[in-house]
Amino acid sequence: MSHDPDGSVLGRFVNELEESAIALILGAMTIITFINVVLRYGFNTGLIWGLEATSFLFAWLVLFGVSYCVKVTAHLGVDAIINLVSPAARRGLALLAAALCILYAFLLFKGAWDYWANFANLPQTTGRWFPTGFEEMGRTSYRAWYAVVDIPMPEWLRFLEPLMNEGEEYEKLPRFIPYFILPFGAALLLFRFVQAGVRIWTGHRDSLIVSHEAEDAVDDVAHMNRED
Amino acid sequence: DCDDGEIVIKFSHVTNTDRHPKGIAASLLQERVNEEMDGTACMEVYPNSTLYNDDQVLEAMLNGDVQMAAPSLSKFEQFTKQFRIFDLPFMFKNIDAVDAFQASETGAAMKESMVRRGLLGLGFWHNGMKQMSANVPLLEPSDAEGLKFRVQNSDVLKAQMAAMGASPQPMAFSEVYGALQTGVVDGQENTWSNIYGQKFFEVQDGTTETNHGVLDYMLVTGVDWWDSLDAEVRDQLSTIIDEVTTTRNSESYKVNQEAKQAIIDAGGEVRELTPEQREAWVNAMKPVWEEFTDDVGQDNIDAAQAINAEQS
Amino acid sequence: MDVVLLFASVVGLMLIGVPIAVSLGLSSIFFLLILSDTSLGSVAQSFFQAMAGHYTLLAIPFFILASSFMSTGGVAQRIIRFSIALVGHLHGGLAIAGVFACMLFAALSGSSPATVVAIGSIVIAGMRQVGYSRDFAAGVIANAGTLGILIPPSIVMVVYASATDVSVGRMFLAGVIPGLLAGTMLMATIYIIARMRDLPKGDWLGWGEVFAAGREASWGLFLIVIILGGIYGGIFTPTEAAAVAAVYAFLIASFVYRDMGPLAGRDGAPNLPLWRKPIALVTAFVHRDTRDTLFEAGKLTVTLMFIIANALILKHVLTDEQIPQQIAGAMISAGFGPVMFLVIVNVILLIGGQFMEPSGLIVIVAPLVFPIAIELGIDPIHLGIIMVVNMEIGMITPPVGLNLFVTSGVAGMPMMNVVRAALPFLAVLFVFLIMVTYIPWISTWLPTTFMGPEIITN
Ligand code: NA
Ligand code: NA
Repeated sequence: MSHDPDGSVLGRFVNELEESAIALILGAMTIITFINVVLRYGFNTGLIWGLEATSFLFAWLVLFGVSYCVKVTAHLGVDAIINLVSPAARRGLALLAAALCILYAFLLFKGAWDYWANFANLPQTTGRWFPTGFEEMGRTSYRAWYAVVDIPMPEWLRFLEPLMNEGEEYEKLPRFIPYFILPFGAALLLFRFVQAGVRIWTGHRDSLIVSHEAEDAVDDVAHMNRED
Repeated sequence: DCDDGEIVIKFSHVTNTDRHPKGIAASLLQERVNEEMDGTACMEVYPNSTLYNDDQVLEAMLNGDVQMAAPSLSKFEQFTKQFRIFDLPFMFKNIDAVDAFQASETGAAMKESMVRRGLLGLGFWHNGMKQMSANVPLLEPSDAEGLKFRVQNSDVLKAQMAAMGASPQPMAFSEVYGALQTGVVDGQENTWSNIYGQKFFEVQDGTTETNHGVLDYMLVTGVDWWDSLDAEVRDQLSTIIDEVTTTRNSESYKVNQEAKQAIIDAGGEVRELTPEQREAWVNAMKPVWEEFTDDVGQDNIDAAQAINAEQS
Repeated sequence: MDVVLLFASVVGLMLIGVPIAVSLGLSSIFFLLILSDTSLGSVAQSFFQAMAGHYTLLAIPFFILASSFMSTGGVAQRIIRFSIALVGHLHGGLAIAGVFACMLFAALSGSSPATVVAIGSIVIAGMRQVGYSRDFAAGVIANAGTLGILIPPSIVMVVYASATDVSVGRMFLAGVIPGLLAGTMLMATIYIIARMRDLPKGDWLGWGEVFAAGREASWGLFLIVIILGGIYGGIFTPTEAAAVAAVYAFLIASFVYRDMGPLAGRDGAPNLPLWRKPIALVTAFVHRDTRDTLFEAGKLTVTLMFIIANALILKHVLTDEQIPQQIAGAMISAGFGPVMFLVIVNVILLIGGQFMEPSGLIVIVAPLVFPIAIELGIDPIHLGIIMVVNMEIGMITPPVGLNLFVTSGVAGMPMMNVVRAALPFLAVLFVFLIMVTYIPWISTWLPTTFMGPEIITN
C-alpha cells in the first residue's frame, strides 16, 4: 500500500494521513448521496444541502489528492518515447518534464490564490503570468459576504461574522471556506512537484508518470501467470 | 470576429440562441451592438453554458472575465435578499404588473442595489409567469401534497413547495426531463416557453395554469468595467439595451402564449383553475410571504400590491 | 493554425514524459494567456468547477468505488464459476466462459482495465491449465475486457453525457444491445476457431452446478438490477445509482461474500459467518480493508479527474476561440456528408486514443464533433456509442493501448505478443465498429423504446 519515498516515521505518518483523508472524503460523498436517496424515496424528504456538499467534497477529493498522486507517481502519462532513449537522455527529459510541471503548478497556484483571495477579503496578486505584487483593494474586492447556495452556516463558525462580514449574519456558508482547497491543494501540488524534481536530480526517482491506471492492481495479480 | 481596438463585450448565457426568450434577446442585442457600434465595441455571445453556468458567471463577472450575463432573478438573492420578492408566490397579478413594478422607482433602485457588491443591473428581461405541472392532475393545492417537486435553488421556492405539503428537490436543469419521466421527481414549475422548450409536458399528466410566480432575468454587468467605459460608449450601449429590452419584453407574453398553444397542439393537457380553485392556491401559498417579509421589505411588498391594484 | 500549435504542444509535452493532465493544462494556460484576455484566476475557477459544477461527473468516483468493492470482495471468482457452469462444456468453452464473465463483470464495473484485471488474472491462469496457449488466452481477454466501457455502467459514457448534455440514462440503455452483440460476436468467433483447431472443452457439470453457481453469483449480479432498475424505475438519478451501487457492493463484499473486512478469514482460514461476530456490523465501516478500498478508488478518481479537469480547461480554450464553430463551418462547406464525417471521427479517435486516456479524449473531441453531428442529423446517442466503440478499439491497437498494457501485465507476457494475440479478435471488433457506425438502430432502438425519441433542447 505504502509507496512513500522516505520510510521515516514522519513520512509514514504523513502518508497515512493523506490516504485516510482521501478515503474519508470519498466515504462521506457516498454516504451523503446514499442517505439522500433513502430520505427521498422512503420518507419523501431530503437533505437540501446534500447535493452541494457532495459536489464540494468531490472538488476537495481531487484537489487534495493530486499532490499525493505526484508523491507516489500515480499520474498517467505516455512512456513510449522515454523508454526508447538512453538513460542519460531519459534523465534529461525527466528533469525537463519536472521543470514544466513545476511551472504548471506555480501558474495554477497563482490562479488559485487570485480566485480565492477576494472571497477571503485578501488582495489578489498583480501581474498576468507572474505575481508582481498585491493589488490595491477596491470597493468590490471584499467578497467574504458571498455565500454558497444551500449549505447552512454551522453555529460554531459564527465567530467569523465579525471578522469577515462586518458583523452581518451568514445564512449560508461563506464561499471562502469550500474554495480554500484551491490555493491549499495547488500549494501542495507545487511542493510535491518540486520534491519530485529534486529526487530526479539526485537520482532517487526516474520519471513522473505511470503508463496506465491499473499498474498497482496488475502488480497484485501478475504472479498468477508468470512463467516459472 | 472582433477587430483590434474594439471594446470586447463577452456575454455568457445558458440557453439556445434562437428559441428561448433570453437567447433571442441576447442575439438581438449582439446584432445591434455589432452593427451600430462597429469600430467601437464588439459583442461575443457564448450560449448554452459553453463558457459559464449561471452560478459561475457572476463570480467570473466580479473578476472581470466576462462583461454581461442575464441569470434568473433567484441568483441575485445572495447579493441582496430584496430579490426574493420575485420568487414570492402570487406577489404579482400578471406579467404587466411585473413589468410596471420593474419600471417603477422601486424596480430602478433594485437594479442599483448590488453596486456595493460589484454588479449593476442594466435591465429586467422577461420570461413570463410560472405554471405548475405534475404526474397527477393539479386542481386543488392538496393535489400537490406528498409530491416531489423540482425547484430552482431558492429558499423562497423551497418554502413555497413546503407550504403545499410537497417536498422540494434541487436538481440540475439538465436532469429534470429524465427525472420527471422516470418519476424520480413528480412535478416542476416553469413558464410555458420552458415547459414547451424542454418538452416537460411530454412526461407529465398535465400543466395547470396557475400563474403563481414569475421567472425573469436581469441583464447585469460588472460595476468596475461599466465605470471604465467612456460616457458616450456607455450612453450608446444603454440606449441599445433599453430598446432591445422593450422590444423583447413586449414580445414575451406572445412567446409564452404560443408555447402554451403548441403544447395543446402536441397533445399536452392544459388545465385552467376556477376562481375558487385559484383562491385556494393563493391561501395555501401566501403564508410564505411572512417568512420573508424582513428580507424583502414591507414597503417593497406594498409597492407591488399597489401596482397590482392598478392592473385591470 | 493556432489550434494546430496547441495540439502539437499537448502531444509534444506528453511524449517527453509530462503527465497527460499537466500537458493539457499547461498548453491551455499558455494559449489562454497569450491569445485571450482570460486570467489565471479563471483557469483556477474552471479547475474547481470541473468537479463542483459538473453534477454528472460525480457518478465517476461512485462507479469506481462500486467496482473496487466488487473486485476486492470476490465477485469475480463467483462470476467465473457461473460462466463455466453455463458454457464451459462447449468447444473452446473456457475461452467462451471468459468472454461471458467479462460481459457480466462489465455490467458491474465502469472501466475496461478493471474488467481485464478482475477476470483476466483468473481466467488466463485457468485456460493455461487446461491446455490453451497463453497467447490465445491473452488475446481473448484483452478484447473481451474492452466491453467494460460499452456495457453499462460506463465511465466513458458518463463523461460523454456530461460533455454533450445528453442523458446518462439514455447512453446506458444505448450500450446494452451493442454490448451483447459484441460479446456474442466474440464468443461465436471463438467457437468457430475452437471447432477448426479442436480446442479443449470442459465437462457439463449439470444444472445443479448452474443453479448453485448462479445463486452464489446472483448477489453480485443483482447490482445490474439495482443500477438499471433504479434509474428506469424512477428511484434515483444515474449519479445516485452509482452511489447506491457502491454502498450495495460494500455490503455484499463485507457481509455476504465476506472475502474482505472483519469477517474475512486470514491466512487461509475460512470466512466467518456474521452471527459468530455480530460486532462486524459496526467494525466493517472502519475496517482496514474498507479504508484501503476507499483509498484505492479515491486515488484512481483523482488521477482520472485530474486529466478531465485539465481537458475541460482545454475545452475552455477551444470555446473561447470558437474553434468548434470554425471546424463545423469548414466541414459543412466542404460538403462532407454523414458517412464521410463518421469516417473522420473514427480516424481522429483512433489516433487520439494513442496518446490519451479515453475519458480525457472524449472531453476534448466531443465538443468538436457534436455540433457538426447535430447539423448533419446524426443522433447524439448514436454518435456517443460510436465514440465508445472507437475507444474500445483504441485500447487494443498498438503502439499505445490501455488494455494491451494491462493484459501484458496480467498475463505476464511481452506487449508485442499480446498485440499479435489480440489481432484476430480485433478484426471482429472492427467489423462490429462498422456495423455500429452504419446501423444506428443497434444503439438507438432500446433508448427510444423505453424513453421516447431523443430531444435536442439546446
Ligand atoms: Na461497464
Ligand atoms: Na491504441
